[in-house]
Amino acid sequence: MTKRPPITNRVRELRELHGAMSQAALGEAIGVTRQTVIAIEQGRYSPSLESAFRIARLFGVGLEEVFGWEGE
Amino acid sequence: MSFKEKSAWVMAVVMTVAGLYYLKIVLDASGQIGMTAPPFPILIAYVVLVVIASINAQIILALSSPKEANAPADERERPMLDRAGNWSGYVLAAGVVTSLLHFLAHNDGFLLFHTIMGSLIVAQIAEYAFQILLLRRSS
Repeated sequence: MTKRPPITNRVRELRELHGAMSQAALGEAIGVTRQTVIAIEQGRYSPSLESAFRIARLFGVGLEEVFGWEGE
Repeated sequence: MSFKEKSAWVMAVVMTVAGLYYLKIVLDASGQIGMTAPPFPILIAYVVLVVIASINAQIILALSSPKEANAPADERERPMLDRAGNWSGYVLAAGVVTSLLHFLAHNDGFLLFHTIMGSLIVAQIAEYAFQILLLRRSS
């Protein structure tokens, strides 16, 4: 198994707050596949800085409201 | 399953079937004429089979999900596809080195051609297998 990145996120929560936006729609909006959105939500993949900003801007929040650092 | 994974599965099957076909016609020809067959007609038959089968398979895949077919690999997929290509390079190198050592020992040029060709086919199949492995492991 690949090591989980130490980054948490609220992508699923924000997606649901925004009219239950689908994973596919979010993926299309930020330029990644639905599988990548799933991997981000499950904490198995840390998006690039560009994608992280795209997600935050799409939901109209700051980067730190979407992503957090877990652990030390 | 992502489009890239579907594509890798389809191409792995195409390359495996074509590789087995290549092996069969080489063995048949070598049995008939008592030596490893001259490569050119076999190579042409193999290349035609691979090109036609790949194009048809990709068309069918693209028709099933046209939007995904047009999209390039995304930021998560790109490093995996690169890594699969890198690893398959090692498979190719191992096959080529083995073929060259065999040639040094036995001095059979036809066999060298076929083993190098076989290494290319195996390396290509390995690349698709690595793609599937890496894409599945991360999804």
